[in-house]
Amino acid sequence: MFVFDPYSPEMDSNPFPAYETLREQYPCMWSEHARMWILSRYDDIANAVQDWQTYSSAKGNMMDELPGRTGFTLGSTDPPRHDRLRALIMGAFTKKSLEYLAEPARKLARQTIDEFAPKRTFDFVTDFSSRVTVGTLFLMMGLPDEDHTTVRRRVLLMIQSDKATRQKGPEHIEAFQTLVDYVRGQVAKRRLAPKDDLITKLIESEIDGDRLAENEIVMTSMTLIMAGVESLSSFMSMMALNMHDFPDARRKVIANPELMAPAIEESLRFNTSAQRFRRVLMRDVELHGQRMRAGDFVCLCYGSGNRDPRKFPNPDVYDVERRPQGHLGFGGGKHLCLGTAMARLVTETAMREFFARIPEYGLTIDKLNWTSSTTFRSPTSLPFAIQ
Amino acid sequence: MSIFGRKEKETATVIYVSPAGDAREIAVPVGDSVMEGAIKHGVNGIVAECGGACMCATCHVYVDETFLNRLDPMDATEDEMLTCTVSPRRPNSRLSCQIRVTQELAGLIVRLPETQV
Repeated sequence: MFVFDPYSPEMDSNPFPAYETLREQYPCMWSEHARMWILSRYDDIANAVQDWQTYSSAKGNMMDELPGRTGFTLGSTDPPRHDRLRALIMGAFTKKSLEYLAEPARKLARQTIDEFAPKRTFDFVTDFSSRVTVGTLFLMMGLPDEDHTTVRRRVLLMIQSDKATRQKGPEHIEAFQTLVDYVRGQVAKRRLAPKDDLITKLIESEIDGDRLAENEIVMTSMTLIMAGVESLSSFMSMMALNMHDFPDARRKVIANPELMAPAIEESLRFNTSAQRFRRVLMRDVELHGQRMRAGDFVCLCYGSGNRDPRKFPNPDVYDVERRPQGHLGFGGGKHLCLGTAMARLVTETAMREFFARIPEYGLTIDKLNWTSSTTFRSPTSLPFAIQ
Repeated sequence: MSIFGRKEKETATVIYVSPAGDAREIAVPVGDSVMEGAIKHGVNGIVAECGGACMCATCHVYVDETFLNRLDPMDATEDEMLTCTVSPRRPNSRLSCQIRVTQELAGLIVRLPETQV
């Protein structure tokens, strides 16, 4: 009997065989372990992200939700409030308005490579991707550089779940609460002395004459930090791993840097960091012979939809020239990732620098360790040797 | 008139003009958006990353002036999203996912911007 358990270690390391079984045999399956329905086919997920009236985000979007987030972040609010909040913040996340980040990201990438390259071995996650992404994010949000390490450590803890109890453990919730307090303090500082940064912008934003509530500012900032620290850094790491696993693809990209942008899209399809998000049903829905009830939670398995052969031919082939239109690497619909332009900009900038200096590299261990998370997927470290 | 209520889907022509000036005429089902008409027929130059949720500003078009006053007015969200387009916003800028095709709009001309992302 097939079970789908997002808490199992196999789901962290290699969920793709289970995804195939889901898509082919149980396209709408109740998972007792997850206590929600699992949608795994591209069309079903693409439909659900568009149909926010049925598949609501108002009860949270993470598989295991954190206390006090729901209703105060973009990802856990429904329209119309969501749309107004999003349109306000979006201005800071357009390609044009992010141009100022390209040069600092490039400098940061060069500087970190200078530091680890002489050693000939390095951890891509701690030595490169997290430093470049956290550094760029901190610049954008106006957070002090000396807080990099502690903020990142807390984010990595709070996104995890306890495998035994199948929910957030006290250590995960404590990391979250401590970070909330930290962000609250940063917001208070901006209220006294506004700066040219994103937190100040949130404070000063108005929707139809109303300022954002304190909790909206804090929880939205928290989400931006979580996405910037975890999703972006993890995505860059996954891309470096793809480029390691498929050396022909890597050499193709290095020989023709124009392929970097489509390679990023293919990595987003092949193994996006945000594998699974959830919604709650606002009405009964019948799908593939199953009757889902209003109030049930539904998992949208982006990582599976991205490997659905009905949408992407030969889905398990990593092809940097695929140009996968409509992939779910950033989700879709109302809650399409806010940071698409930022993710593309920072990844392209950093990976270009990386490949210019380190075109050939190999893993120094056989078996990777994976983050224990029901929502995100990424290796905890990528020890590489420069060849 | 069909007994069982089945009828051919009504369409209206939308003309998509590329930045180079090439025009494509497409019969778009009434009720679909101008964005959907482009995506379903593989018109290059409309990305529509969010799939029609008015959240990404990558289905930006310049609407031919003669049709402008026949469109439903834009709401506050579209107005704010239009400040996020990569190609410059002009007075006739709209997001094509927010334009529903009707018979009154038959012959609608939209010009595509240089770039969406």
